[in-house]
Amino acid sequence: MDKLVIAGKKFSSRLLVGTGKFASSEVMAEALEKSGAEIVTVALRRVDIENKNDDTLRAIDVKKYLLLPNTSGARDAEEAVRLAKLARAATGINWVKLEVTPDPYYLLPDPVETLKAAEILVKDGFIVLPYINADPILAKKLEDAGTATVMPLASPIGSNQGLKTRAALEIIIEQANVPVVVDAGLGLPSHAAEAMEMGADAVLINTAIATAAEPGEMAAAFKLAVEAGRMAYKAGAAAASKRASASSPLTGFLRNAQKEE
Amino acid sequence: MEALKINGVEKQFPAGQLPSTVAKLLEALDIEGATAAAEIDGEIIDREKFAETKLRNGQSIELVRFVGGG
Repeated sequence: MDKLVIAGKKFSSRLLVGTGKFASSEVMAEALEKSGAEIVTVALRRVDIENKNDDTLRAIDVKKYLLLPNTSGARDAEEAVRLAKLARAATGINWVKLEVTPDPYYLLPDPVETLKAAEILVKDGFIVLPYINADPILAKKLEDAGTATVMPLASPIGSNQGLKTRAALEIIIEQANVPVVVDAGLGLPSHAAEAMEMGADAVLINTAIATAAEPGEMAAAFKLAVEAGRMAYKAGAAAASKRASASSPLTGFLRNAQKEE
Repeated sequence: MEALKINGVEKQFPAGQLPSTVAKLLEALDIEGATAAAEIDGEIIDREKFAETKLRNGQSIELVRFVGGG
């Protein structure tokens, strides 16, 4: 498979995986391994002084995966910038998945605050991967502001509804000069394959893997789906048509010549 | 008594026993410093400076670290 290139860094895998909602660190570690992912997202939260054992980072081999801290929980640009800077201070990583989601019900990203935060973070030297609604104009503006990717949603976070924004995603993919990572809402490997067949450069999956009955197996299934979708895209899809087009020759049938007209 | 506000909660220390630096505070709270980030009164402290950053009575400290997230 051809490499995914984000901010000049090459990746063999086109599947990014989130680390939320796993039943245990062991289950997460197994799923990450089986997904083949090289980029994994993490969130930043206050240390629970009373329960210090919950340290996700310990279960992730940071030599193997690029940690992509997100700014989840941020309700405006100011909070997102603060979280990004704290994440950088914690790890020295200047990559950030920018998300600004003031609406707690649908967790839809705020386009105005996201663009504002992106401009600030890019100027401050961050590699910014913004989570956005599937808005082609916003995607363009973010790209112009210097973001490393755009990450439009397929449907609301964790909803597993699949590609509900298909038409807009197609426009984003057509127009983008940075990698398009379809993020949020992909619930099945077939959804991921479809996004990749459309020409998405990568997908990000969390809930669909973490809350499956067998997260490791589901991670492996997504890995195959993403690879299949990418291969299909590169192979160039055959044209669809309304009427049948026989696959077998329409001559030499075993019937009377008179009837062949 | 002296006190620090840690993650929004006031923590008291007997006079003279306030941890002298960020590193000492993390040690006292048994928090792994290698993966944590700290903010004192709104200012982010680089991890390399945990050992040299002094704490004073009444400061507000945020201690954060990574958790699972998408």
